[in-house]
Parts: sequence; C-alpha cells; structure tokens
Amino acid sequence: MVATIQLDAAQHARKRVRSRRQREFARHLALGLIAFILVAPFYYVLLASLKDSTEIFSYPPKLLPIPLYLGNYRDLLWDTGFLRWMFNTLFVASSVTVIKVFLDSMAGFALAKIDFTGKRIVFMLMLILLMVPIGALIVPLWSLVSTLGLINTYLALILPPLANPLGAILMRQFILGLPRDLENAARLDGLSEFAIYWRIVLPLIKPGLVVLAVITFTDQFMSFTWPLIATTSDELQVLTVGIAALRAHGGANYGLWSASAIMSLVPIGIFFFVLQRQFLARSLAGALKQ
Amino acid sequence: MGLDAATGAGVPLGRLRLSAEEHRRLRHQARLRRELTGWLFLAPMFACFVIFLVLPVIGTVWWSLRSGGLGGETKFIGFRNFTDLPDTVGAGTAITNTLVFALISVPLILIGALAIALLLARIERGGSIYRFLIYFPVLVPGVVAALIWLFMTNVDFGLFNEVARALGGKPVVWLGADHALTVLAILDVWRNVGYWALFFVAAIIGLPKELYQAADLDGASALARLRYLTLPLLRRMIFFAVVVATIWGLQVFDTALVLTNGGPGTATTTVIYRVWLYMFGATNKIGVASAISLVLIIAILLLTLVQMRLLRGRRGGD
Repeated sequence: MVATIQLDAAQHARKRVRSRRQREFARHLALGLIAFILVAPFYYVLLASLKDSTEIFSYPPKLLPIPLYLGNYRDLLWDTGFLRWMFNTLFVASSVTVIKVFLDSMAGFALAKIDFTGKRIVFMLMLILLMVPIGALIVPLWSLVSTLGLINTYLALILPPLANPLGAILMRQFILGLPRDLENAARLDGLSEFAIYWRIVLPLIKPGLVVLAVITFTDQFMSFTWPLIATTSDELQVLTVGIAALRAHGGANYGLWSASAIMSLVPIGIFFFVLQRQFLARSLAGALKQ
Repeated sequence: MGLDAATGAGVPLGRLRLSAEEHRRLRHQARLRRELTGWLFLAPMFACFVIFLVLPVIGTVWWSLRSGGLGGETKFIGFRNFTDLPDTVGAGTAITNTLVFALISVPLILIGALAIALLLARIERGGSIYRFLIYFPVLVPGVVAALIWLFMTNVDFGLFNEVARALGGKPVVWLGADHALTVLAILDVWRNVGYWALFFVAAIIGLPKELYQAADLDGASALARLRYLTLPLLRRMIFFAVVVATIWGLQVFDTALVLTNGGPGTATTTVIYRVWLYMFGATNKIGVASAISLVLIIAILLLTLVQMRLLRGRRGGD
C-alpha cells in the first residue's frame, strides 16, 4: 500500500516535470515566432541594401546577397548628406542629454530635498504638462524661436527639448529614495547644499542618471517633427529629417533607402547592445511617471 | 539648533542662549537661504520648462483666437476658428483619421504586449535574447520605420505581397485608400509592442508570488490564473498603458508623412500633419493650425488628468 503511493508520487512528479518542459517549449516556440516576425523586416531591408537595383526587383527573391553589392552604401555616404546628418543628430542628441542630466538632477534635488515656497504648484504644473508633446506646440514654438532669431541654429534644436519635465520628475523620484540621514550628516559637517548635491546625491543616483540619459538620447535620436520645422538649411538637417528628404525628393531608390535605414540604426544599435539593461529600464520609466 | 546657531555669525561666543528676537532673526535668515537655494537649483530647468512648454501652451490659445498667416498681419477674431472648425478643410478628416488610427493600434499594441509579457515572464531560460529582439523595433525612428514599411508594402516586389503570392493569394495594394490607415496603425504596433511588453513583464514579475502559490495549491488552471489573478492585479498598469499609448497614438505624424504622404487623398492625414499643412503649406493659416493643435492639447490634458486621478487613488488604497 505504502509502496504504491510512493510510486504514484514519483510518477506524478515525473509527469509534472514533463508537462513543465512541454509548456516551456511551447513558450519558446511562440516567442521565437513573434521575435522572428518583429525582426524579419530588418533582415529584409539589410538584404535589399546589399543588392543592386535589378537584383532587388528580381523574383523569386534571393535570401542571401550574393554577389555582394556595396554600391548603395557608397552612394549614401558619398552622394548624400548622410554623414553630416548623422553628425548633427549625434551632436544635438549628446548636447541635449548632457545638459538635461544636469538641469533635471538639480531640479529633482530641489523638488525632493529642499522646502521652498511654490514647490507643490511647480510640481503639479510639471505633472499636468508632462504629456503635452512638442508636436502639438509647433505653431507657437516656431514663432517664439524665430522671434529669438534661432531658426536654423543648433540652439533651436537643443533648447526646446530641455523643457520636458519627465526628467525632473524622474530624478525627484530617485532622490526621494535616498536616506535623509546621509545628507543631514553632511549638513552637520558643514557641506553646502551644492556640495551635498554634487558630492553625495549625484554619485548615489548614478543608475538613475544613466536611465535618464538613455531616455533622453533615444528620444532625441528619434525626434522628427521639431527638427523638421526648426531647420531649413541642409547643413543643419538631422538624420530623420535628411532621410525624409531622401524619400521626398529624387525618385524611388529602394537600394539607397534601405542602406540609409540600416546605417541609421548602427549607432543606436551599438548603444542598445552596450546599455541593454538601462534601455529596458526605459519601459519602467513609465511606471515612475507618477 | 541653538548650539549650532550660537557658533554662527553675529552672535557673541560663549553665550549659548538666544534671545527670542535673535532666534527669530536667525530662523528667518535660514528660511530665506532655503528658499533661495531651492529656487536656484530649480531655476535652470524651470526656465526652460516655462519658456518652451508653458509659454507655447498659452501661445497656442492666443494664436487660436487670431486670423492671418505667418509673417503677415494677424488680427483677433474671437472663437471663429473654433466655430468654423467643423467646416474647416481637412480638420474633421484629420481628427477622424487620428482617432481611427488610435482605435486600431492601441488595442492591438496592448493585447500583443500583454501576450508577449505573459510568455516572457514565465520563461526559464533565454529571456534576455527575446527581450533584445522584441525591443529592437522600438529604437527605430519613425521615419526609418516608415521607409522600411514603404519597401515591404510595395505592390510589385514588397515582402507582404511576396508572402501573399507564395501562399497563393493575390497581391494587395497595401497603401491604397482602403488599407493605408490600417497599415499605418500596424506599423505603429510593430514599433511599440516591444516597449509595452517589457513594461508588462516588469509589472508581472513584481506581482506577489504567494497568491500564485495559493492558486496552484487550489489547482487553478492557467486560464483561471490569468482571468482571476493576473489581469485584475495588473488593472492599474493596463489602464496606465491604455492612456499613455493613446496619448502617443494621437501624435502620429512622421510615419504618415514618409509612408503615405498623408494620402491617398487625405486618407492618412493626421492631426499634427494637418496642423503642419495649415502652418507651412500653401494655406498658411496660423490661427486655424493653432485651433486644431488646441483640440489635441486639450484631449491630451484630459487624458493626463484621468491618469493622475487614477494614480492618486492608488496611494489611498483602492
């Protein structure tokens, strides 16, 4: 009697392991399929970028780019402003990121640790306007920036994105999480508020700063509407605007378009690969937005 | 505090007690210093916030009450831009297009993201590879995504029709008047599903384990667990995602510009697209552009307020 029960239990356990493995396998299958569908377009475009124009149109399509054709990349790098666009994007995105990390962490410090009049109202206002996008403000923003004489300058591209309050709200959240004892000890030791911010708070919220930097840089890298409106000269076009112009002017050149798509993904792809965890935290920033 | 202050400026050494007046003066000084420090720390960011966000919001209201164009004379005309809005060329279509776009894309994004998240959260090995691949389209700028889709939806040699042909179907005119808006919405699903999937993965991992153990002991099926445990626990997260994804959906512009040029006709001309046309296009009506913008801003503000009420509810317990 006892033996049969034991046998049953063993059988049961084996069955459980097997069904767990089966379910794990099914999940892998489903996720693999989804990932394949999501990533397939990139392979498709990469393939097209390595074919000459007759190969692109041939049917049935080849799944490997043989012979390898690099003419599209040569055309892109030599005959269009691509390198200039890339420089502009990287320059503007890095500038905005560096400035924003400082301004927002300072504002976050004030909002989290210092009691001053009007703090609640300021914070409320930031929360309310958090979601209003630059795209909805292009009319007054354009007239403001052109009144300031900044149209067609780097400043026009760098200043307006600094207004977004998400960073300050995020930094406030991070700094609120720091223990009060630490700064109080520093205060007793006679450190100024700025020294507390610079030497104690900033090093402690480094992970938060990296998340903010990643959010800012990616948003800037992808932004289109404002750069489209703020610049009219070719020298100041950023990547997204340049690629849109590539599509709008000149005939349909699928090889060139594909090469531009692949090349524009290189920097953000490398960045993503190196900072994967912080990127994925970008999704979590949503939860912190409260 | 008393000790501290006594060694400070203005008080003779050796006296540890402060008179009431001295005490008040010092407290006043400390308070003033605190106010100043607070505002100094806030000022650089707050100045940008006021100049490039608060002012433009007010500016939108101001411009929306005027007629005229960029670079020319404008004059105050009251609410005429708004009362004329139903008859304004393209305004109604733009709003409808944007709403239809959001109605197609947002549910698909969130259902897809939830499904992926449920799979990803329970997987034992290899999760980071899937996360990487699923998140990748999120990093593609809209313009580039549109270019990729322009290629894929090409009638003669695009990927979609090649697949359709391989399966024995007929080629479809994907960017024709019938399908263009749907294709635009699906493109958005492709770009955003990974973002919300990872958002939900984090939320699911954060759910209390004990409840699931209890459900296991009670022999709850996977479906019952989803229906009675996971979804109710994620309710607020899902609602948050619905609001934010809708707000993002209402801003669609760059993909519409590159993929379809707003066409065919006005089939994919969205709100921001129409604002842009009214401002920089041949019509050049800054007041009308502002009035349309204001409709969008108000919609976004209302959604934000709903969101804030909801999050406040969480703090006070359900």
